[in-house]
Amino acid sequence: MSLLSIAGVSKRFGGIVANQGISFDVAPGELVGIIGPNGAGKSTLFEIITGFYHPDEGVVSLDGARLTGLSPDAICRRGVARTFQKLRPFQGLTVLDNVMVGALTRTRDVRHARERARELVGKVGLAEKAEAHARTLSTGQRKRLELARALATEPRVLLLDEVTGGVDQRTIPELVQLVRDLHAGGLTVLVIEHNMRVITAVAQRIVALQLGEVIADGPPDQVTRDRRVVEAYLGLAYTQ
Amino acid sequence: MKAVAPAAVVFVCAGLAPLVVHDAFLLDSLVLILIWGSAAAAWNVAGGYAGQISLGHSAFFGIGAYAAGLVVTRWELSPWLGLAVGALVAMAIGLVVGYLSNRLRGPYFVLATIAFSQVLLIVGSRWRGFTSGSEGIPVPFRPGFWTLGIADKRVWVWITLALAVLAYLLQLYLDRSRRGYQLVAVREDEDAALSLGVPARWLKVAAICASAALTAACGALWAQYIGFVDPFYVFSVDLSVKFALAAIIGGLGTALGPFLGAALITTVETYLRAQFGGIGTRLIGIYLIVYGCALIVMVRWVPHGLVGWIGERLRRRVTARAET
Ligand SMILES: Nc1ncnc2c1ncn2[C@@H]1O[C@H](COP(=O)(O)OP(=O)(O)OP(=O)(O)O)[C@@H](O)[C@H]1O
Ligand SMILES: [Mg+2]
Repeated sequence: MSLLSIAGVSKRFGGIVANQGISFDVAPGELVGIIGPNGAGKSTLFEIITGFYHPDEGVVSLDGARLTGLSPDAICRRGVARTFQKLRPFQGLTVLDNVMVGALTRTRDVRHARERARELVGKVGLAEKAEAHARTLSTGQRKRLELARALATEPRVLLLDEVTGGVDQRTIPELVQLVRDLHAGGLTVLVIEHNMRVITAVAQRIVALQLGEVIADGPPDQVTRDRRVVEAYLGLAYTQ
Repeated sequence: MKAVAPAAVVFVCAGLAPLVVHDAFLLDSLVLILIWGSAAAAWNVAGGYAGQISLGHSAFFGIGAYAAGLVVTRWELSPWLGLAVGALVAMAIGLVVGYLSNRLRGPYFVLATIAFSQVLLIVGSRWRGFTSGSEGIPVPFRPGFWTLGIADKRVWVWITLALAVLAYLLQLYLDRSRRGYQLVAVREDEDAALSLGVPARWLKVAAICASAALTAACGALWAQYIGFVDPFYVFSVDLSVKFALAAIIGGLGTALGPFLGAALITTVETYLRAQFGGIGTRLIGIYLIVYGCALIVMVRWVPHGLVGWIGERLRRRVTARAET
């Protein structure tokens, strides 16, 4: 029984193969980590799942219903929410209003949406910043904001692109704990993450990509010991 | 800045003014301020709230003016009907412009809107058989409310005030409603809004259509009030710039701002015309220079417009008082 199914997804940009025949299923309540060196095609896969890019081949479906071909807003309403690797808060709006936009996808009542937003702002630890404009937030706070905003749409599947990237060391554990709590609450989560210690600590399963292809898929201890994964990362280390 | 009280005061004062003021010049200025304010508010719905900056809104204004003028002269029907026809035609064209807004972003959209208004200018000034071409249309004065043949400027104040209140209420709706929040999200970041389930494309089209219809209503009333439709005026880029500028000066995306901006612009324009109008045509375009300078000053130093500026002052005063 899978909730999210990715079947044979390919995407090329001119000569660059960003995704090549990617297939894997995500079970309800699973927390899947996606790893891979820079340019492996992780974000591209998220863009395809959420309808921002159209795949050249392949289909993504949620609970058996096809998502591919729907617009991003329709996909969100079906229950897939995401954060952006390059953060995109609504700069000119307050933290609360940012989150309200998400909540208004599920309720027509503005007051109800505000209450819901306030709850979520508290949940991600931004209560004190509720009335601050998004542009005044630090990177870590913006990540929390995007998380709260995505949660406000009441997703069945949450896609997080880089939870800890660019965040200072001290706030990493808090963000990790947040993701853990969400997962413990029954949410299905896909996390792209560069920090190996983080990913092995939270994920039940890891999918590794390289040059657009899945090179490993399994439990963290197995994937991190996989020869191709080690090479992909060591190769990266050598070239850098 | 979402309090209604300041706007209520402004509109009540405007409504009571004709009871106190009898000077025709002042009443005339008030009518024009209300029309330009409504047009700026209509522009603000698309440009300020939805972030779809257009410099072709004179297209909609002209359509309203022509619809009212033609319905009266060609078919001898009520200009109110002309207003409705104009609003509907403008909405239909708004659909096209809305579609463009989903294809073109930023400066490309702005250029497309300018081109749009200029195409209509050519149609209006060349289609002699229908629009009377570049001669324009004199709108006959047929006394009565139904025919909008009203000599009493006080009545015009009340009619245009109703239009202004309608435009204000539309913006107030955007300030407070679900759709308004979503529209502002689209303005701030369309992709982020999409990712949160906001039907961005549909909302932009709806905002532009509403803006177009309201702008056309302004054009229809203006044509009846002035009594003449000149294609080179109603479809001009100057006019589009005026709507945009009034909204920017007053405060983009604020409900009262466009009316304050229009009041300022109309006053300055009237003053300049009185000062330089007699000297000859050489200085007649001076208001364009003033527009340009005003735009630079506002964007550089008062980005949130008069409403933002006044709001900031008040807030400071309140906190200063709280501290002492
Ligand atoms: N819109 C685009 N146009 C052209 N090329 C693109 C586009 N988006 C991604 N690519 C290319 O596709 C490849 C995969 O990019 P992607 O962003 O998916 O990688 P990633 O795994 O998320 O990398 P990172 O870890 O750096 O975020 C890269 O070579 C990238 O340059
Ligand atoms: Mg990426």
